[in-house]
Amino acid sequence: MAKYNHPPSLHLVQSMAMASESTSSTSTPRKRSKWDEEDPDDMAIRQQQQPSKRSVRTRSRGVRPPSPVRSESHFATTSRPSRPLHSIYVPPRTHHPSIQPSRSVYCYERLNQIEEGSYGVVFRARDKETGDIVALKKLKLDEEKHGFPITALREINALMSCHHDNVVRIREVVVGDTLTQVFVVMDFIEHDLKTLLTLMPSPFLQSEIKTLMLQLLSAVAHCHSNWILHRDLKTSNLLMNNRGTIKVADFGLARRYGDPVGVGGLTQLVVTLWYRAPEILMGATTYSTAIDMWSVGCIFAELLLKEPLFQAKNEIELLSMIFKLLGPPTTKTITLPSPQPHQFRQRFHHMTTAGIDLLVSLLTYDPEQRISAEEAVHHPYFSESPLPKHPDLFSSFPSAAAGERRRKPFDSPSAPVRAADYKLLTEVDLP
Amino acid sequence: MPVDLVPLASTSQIERTPSREDGIPAELEEDLRAFGCKLIHEAGILLKQKQVAVATAQILFQRFWYTTSMKQFGIGDIGMGALYLASKLEECPLRIRDLINTYDLLLQRTSHTLSSSPKPKDPFKYAPMSYFGNTFYDLKDALVVAEMQILKRLGFNVHVVLPYGTLINYLRVLGLTSRKDACARAWGYLNDAMQTPVYALYAVPTIVSAAILLASRQLDIALPSRRLIDVWSVCGYVMRLYRERAPEERMRVMRLVGKKDVRGWLEENAVVQS
Repeated sequence: MAKYNHPPSLHLVQSMAMASESTSSTSTPRKRSKWDEEDPDDMAIRQQQQPSKRSVRTRSRGVRPPSPVRSESHFATTSRPSRPLHSIYVPPRTHHPSIQPSRSVYCYERLNQIEEGSYGVVFRARDKETGDIVALKKLKLDEEKHGFPITALREINALMSCHHDNVVRIREVVVGDTLTQVFVVMDFIEHDLKTLLTLMPSPFLQSEIKTLMLQLLSAVAHCHSNWILHRDLKTSNLLMNNRGTIKVADFGLARRYGDPVGVGGLTQLVVTLWYRAPEILMGATTYSTAIDMWSVGCIFAELLLKEPLFQAKNEIELLSMIFKLLGPPTTKTITLPSPQPHQFRQRFHHMTTAGIDLLVSLLTYDPEQRISAEEAVHHPYFSESPLPKHPDLFSSFPSAAAGERRRKPFDSPSAPVRAADYKLLTEVDLP
Repeated sequence: MPVDLVPLASTSQIERTPSREDGIPAELEEDLRAFGCKLIHEAGILLKQKQVAVATAQILFQRFWYTTSMKQFGIGDIGMGALYLASKLEECPLRIRDLINTYDLLLQRTSHTLSSSPKPKDPFKYAPMSYFGNTFYDLKDALVVAEMQILKRLGFNVHVVLPYGTLINYLRVLGLTSRKDACARAWGYLNDAMQTPVYALYAVPTIVSAAILLASRQLDIALPSRRLIDVWSVCGYVMRLYRERAPEERMRVMRLVGKKDVRGWLEENAVVQS
């Protein structure tokens, strides 16, 4: 307790909150104010329907006696309807989360460091209460001139409002001893797709790629429907567990977008170069969801090729690589078909026509024409043979982040040791 | 798809707010909340900040006092921090210096009103702070700390749902969009309700229903009668804002903008009681 940053009174309130919340739903008649007693029937009905909600109101009124609430509510009860007094269309108050301060980082036990980036350090840690293994991301907050960094705020906010199976789950945000120590607690996921692709002995099968792509697309569609642009989709930001599920992570560049898009202007300094859409390269300030779809296209190609599609050193080289693959855009308008045919067939030999079509729809010059995540999920590529593999059938890999190492692919029998000695021995022993 | 629910105060938080635990009477806390929100609102107007940011700031401000006592933090600092934070959340960040200048002006005006309260003196004149003066750095530190404390004490859950979209929906359903006066009034009640804790107590649909109910009653518009307890309760909170107040009550709040003032007040009152 003493280590906590909160004053003791807060803890009292918190523990009280828990205690009383648990009792309020079970307890029978409590002390009520005068007007309640006039109407025992009505009261009983209401208590049946919304026990805890009712108690809240009574209590809140109880503490502020000389208020017009009393007279108004009195009026409400005298002409009492026999219907429920709380709307059935609105989730009851008790379904809402309560206002809780951040817990202390000492609720977690530090295990090992996973990685370090410009945003801060990521640790693997264990929840002391539940024993769950989590990832703790420590935010770098030193020397902030503008208070809490808006990028971190966007990331936390985006993750908190995005609940999806394929988006990494944020459990809570905990704080250390001083105000500059903030840790984001997320589910620990064993792999990131980037390391996995470089380490795995053979590339993913078509059926596996379909599963991964479907998961990625549904996550992106979910973010977009929640008005969130990820703006940094790439294989190293896709985490994968040993049960064949990928999770989109690192919303450090994410931000909310509105309709119309880009009020106040959006920065062009987004998305890792290899995954950056042509419209950003050309300097658009009002880009939208299509930029994420371009990145998805690059990821799709990377899964197929087992290496990044456009490994450019700078923006000019990237543009020329894009031009080479897609065919250069026409001089007049970007929406017209390119004068030269694209080179997808040559680059991806073993793809079906539907697969090439999905790739072409994702990697389209015109952001307006580019396929949306919602549409892409229903693309024929995913319904043709081979069908997507069930995630449970994925093979598992040793986790680099958890400090596990890959075993040798196979244990061949070792060469006979000291064969010469043995030979010598036998020769000597021979009569 | 599951509905994303905003955090609301728990039963015990409502019953005993941290401020009340510290001996601040319920009525005074209520007044301080309202005054803090008024300051946020005025600062927002002076800064030409978007209404969404101002409303978000007020809701965060209201939530904050369910985990923290007014003895620990002043309503001025926290209001400033809330507005700064909300502006970031709504993607329309403010400059720290602009915000601090604005609050400085508002605070000076408050103290001017206080000093000239018995008899109106000369009109208020703003004296700008010096560019590198201590006032600025003190306020800046307070602002940064306040922002961080709000985040920390709300568990970084700064998810806010604003009521305006719901209001428009409901007005359409009720066929009230042609009544300009009803729309404006209901909209106004929603904004005024920001000065009460209702946004930290009830879900948005309840608050919106209450605003429409109040508006339609005042304009004698007949609506289907179905009485929901919570809606009346929200009406009560809102109408309480407009009750007649004695001048000394109004002055009392203005004196208690900082935490030191609140502490001083508590000490004085302890003496009086004992």
